[in-house]
Amino acid sequence: MTNRIAAWAILAVTLLFLIGPFFIIIAAALSAGNSLAFPPQGLSLKWVIKVFEVESFRESFAVSMFLAIFGTLAALGLGVPAAYGLTRYKVPGGETVRLILSSPIIVPGIIVGLALLRYLVIPTGVPIMAALFFAHAALVLPYAVRVVSASMENLRTDIEEAAMLLGCSRAGAFGKVVLPNIRGGVLAAFILGFVTSFNQVPVSLFLSGPGVRTLPIDMIAYMEINYDPSVAALSALLAFMSVAIVFAAERFLGFSRYV
Amino acid sequence: MSDHVSLEKLTLAYGRAVAVEALDLGIRQGELIALLGPSGCGKTTTMRAIAGLLTPASGTIRIGGRDVTRLPPSKRQVGLVFQSYALFPHLTVYENVAFGLRLRGDRDLDRRVRAGLATVGLSDFAGRAPAALSGGQQQRVALARSLVMEPQVLLLDEPLSNLDARLRLEMRLELQRVQRETGVTMVFVTHDQSEALALADRIVVMRNGRIEQLGTPEEIYTAPVSGFVADFVGFETILPVPDGGALAWRPGAVRLGEGPRRGVIRGASFAGERREYVIDTDEGVVKADVPASAPALTAGTEIAFDLPRETAVRLERLD
Repeated sequence: MTNRIAAWAILAVTLLFLIGPFFIIIAAALSAGNSLAFPPQGLSLKWVIKVFEVESFRESFAVSMFLAIFGTLAALGLGVPAAYGLTRYKVPGGETVRLILSSPIIVPGIIVGLALLRYLVIPTGVPIMAALFFAHAALVLPYAVRVVSASMENLRTDIEEAAMLLGCSRAGAFGKVVLPNIRGGVLAAFILGFVTSFNQVPVSLFLSGPGVRTLPIDMIAYMEINYDPSVAALSALLAFMSVAIVFAAERFLGFSRYV
Repeated sequence: MSDHVSLEKLTLAYGRAVAVEALDLGIRQGELIALLGPSGCGKTTTMRAIAGLLTPASGTIRIGGRDVTRLPPSKRQVGLVFQSYALFPHLTVYENVAFGLRLRGDRDLDRRVRAGLATVGLSDFAGRAPAALSGGQQQRVALARSLVMEPQVLLLDEPLSNLDARLRLEMRLELQRVQRETGVTMVFVTHDQSEALALADRIVVMRNGRIEQLGTPEEIYTAPVSGFVADFVGFETILPVPDGGALAWRPGAVRLGEGPRRGVIRGASFAGERREYVIDTDEGVVKADVPASAPALTAGTEIAFDLPRETAVRLERLD
């Protein structure tokens, strides 16, 4: 009996920890007061409206959206063929390739960011936007390879041969029978990559520079100067965006099957 | 050169491992050929080479007089019904059958697809997803998908092995009917001699990448050339003779209870209508079966028996 109570207590505390911050942020976002605080002082939507009026938020939101969409597309452009090759063929050293492809997940972002800054951006002087783009594509690549591999592994290999015997070229068989059957996995990889890129902090922190920063970095910078509830309001909006995307994906595609 | 499909000095290899060596085989128009042998004998490899899924190390493949050795599978006009059927899971039954015709831009697509589905008795299933069909139905879809392309040769990989006994008979009759109606040349791969005997016009028995024997089912069944083929078609007692050849008997041909030979029963089992015995003798192992009405013998019993010469077949080789 005491075991049961203990189990429920642990469950409750865990859930509270997971979801609690979300409610605190929402409450703080709706505050009528002038500083970030919980419980909120009065209720108002003024900080939510303020979010849309801050120009740097609009700019950094655009940067983050661009990176999340095109960085993830670039990662899929590399990751889908890589996943195909690694699952279909016994590539010599395939496991090593897989491990290296996963390294952006394993190596701490601080190190990746510092290394990219010190050895890519400073010596070569690549534009900040380009550096961010390549960094985000690389960070998302492991998810692209893994998630797409998982759905590729469930797919029979002989359907490609069947397609070729019915008149497809090799590439045609990939386009006509492989892609349509892994599109759920590709979409899942896109969403996972999008969210990963959008929420990325440590690497972007090093690479952000004058005039170009991602939204999370901009939020940190904003908070250092203005300790008002607009950051909470923005966080709440972003959280709703993520939830909406994942919910839609689950609803229409059975997203959870792939992750 | 009246052969519709001819394999000339065909050598097939996976890397350094040679799977089929210098194989010569001619298949006539409209013939139903079985490639028979145990796993690893090269039968599937040969079939894949005809389909173009494997490039020969050397040799030539001709189909309808045309050298197709270097052509990709898409240009060979060869159909293949995969053992696992390989239906496209994202397409309906109709679209699976229409797949090749669509690629070809066939103007008569709808009529051909419907005719194809009718041929295999699946007209009512056009709108279903492959996953909603039974194994036997999926196989018939795969068959229709190949047939509507009117291939020069139809290859079938173990067409009956995934079906239960009742469906197996049904599919066997189906394949023979389709072959009669369309006149398509068929090559099927099997490890099951009873399938090969029942279906094929001619059987190619393969072993270690070579043809061990080629003949009609009757020839293979009644006159195997070697111990390997004899064993495959049910001659379970194979004993060497002094000149280098061998004699083989089916279990039913062994006469137990009297005769010039003696042996000790090692194993006995009851199989319903028959009793089966394994007997150790000085010359080798003898397998016998007798009607169940005969009295049961137990293991360890010494017994006299006869291997009548007139019920034996003579083999060129013991092995």
